[in-house]
Amino acid sequence: MSIFSFRRAAWSPYVAGVIIGLLQIPAFLLMNTALGASSSYVTVAGTLASLFDPGITRIEYVAKHLEGAKNWWQVALVVGIALGAMISSRLGGTARTGVSRAWGRVASARPSVRFPMAFAGGFLMLLGARIADGCTSGHGISGIAQLSVGSLIAVTAMFTGGILAALLFFRRI
Amino acid sequence: MSVVTAILIGLAMGFVFGFALEKSRVFEPGIIVGQMQMRNFIMLKIFLTAVATGLLVLTVMSLYGVKMHPKPTLAMADLVGGMLLGVGITVAGACPGTVLAQIGAGYKDAWITLVGGLLGALTFSYAEPALKPVLMSASSGKLTLDGLFGAPFWLVAVPLALVLIVSLLALERWRPWRNELGERADGVTSEALLLTESAPDQAHTVHP
Repeated sequence: MSIFSFRRAAWSPYVAGVIIGLLQIPAFLLMNTALGASSSYVTVAGTLASLFDPGITRIEYVAKHLEGAKNWWQVALVVGIALGAMISSRLGGTARTGVSRAWGRVASARPSVRFPMAFAGGFLMLLGARIADGCTSGHGISGIAQLSVGSLIAVTAMFTGGILAALLFFRRI
Repeated sequence: MSVVTAILIGLAMGFVFGFALEKSRVFEPGIIVGQMQMRNFIMLKIFLTAVATGLLVLTVMSLYGVKMHPKPTLAMADLVGGMLLGVGITVAGACPGTVLAQIGAGYKDAWITLVGGLLGALTFSYAEPALKPVLMSASSGKLTLDGLFGAPFWLVAVPLALVLIVSLLALERWRPWRNELGERADGVTSEALLLTESAPDQAHTVHP
């Protein structure tokens, strides 16, 4: 079977890495920006929050995330990620239900433990990404490819924090 | 560009991105946490391959005069934010992008990670005016390695890409990717299953 067969459960990480790296071409040439994911959370959260607190749009940081094509391009990008993964998992026979069985090994798969962890993890992830002004995509994949010094600092800190958390909170499997 | 065009381009690019994330298995919590436990290297392989590809793509584009978009260098914010992001990635078993792939593939807890992420972004948005002078004021500009060395982009990017490619070849020899998938392609490998089969929730007490 071809390495690109849609029905395979897994592709080589090197093939996937090249595909993701090549996505910089449309990002730079069509959108005049680099690949990123985490600022879309500000666009969505800010839009939803403005329904209850119209004053939030007076925060300059929020306002600049609500206007313009680039912000909605990134929101569409992350929606597209979910759609692409959904189709790929259906084709590859790897659609999931419940939570990953990895959680039962490293911590607990019980909803009373896993759901609060997922919430806390998501919260810290975006709080951190917004403080650092980028995530695994914006600082990691795009920042280092642009030789950005700040991105090198952020990615080093990210892996340090991640490895420390794994040592402190999880069992080795 | 109209917002509608931007959204269509974003959906198309995201679809390819999500397809690659799912096929490569890097969105799996077992693989992301496994990377942070330094026992599974699929995440690092994809990450470094994407960086090496990006370096070469941007080298070509820089020769045609395409403008780069490096982020401002804010050492303290990069350090503090990066650490919190890393802790969050491990606890969530996801990144801000891969959580959407988890939702697409069907993991239920990923919806909660997403809600947590939206509230994290909202909290930062409200705190940003107060945090800005503390964490984000002392910018040293948009520093890049090529700028620091006073060299053209390609002169740093091409050698770095070659170093990454050689490192990846060595990493693959040491840890072939097929051995890291696990039989259900979720990063839970069979040794781990053998260890914990009898008592899934007391894995830490099992000492064979």
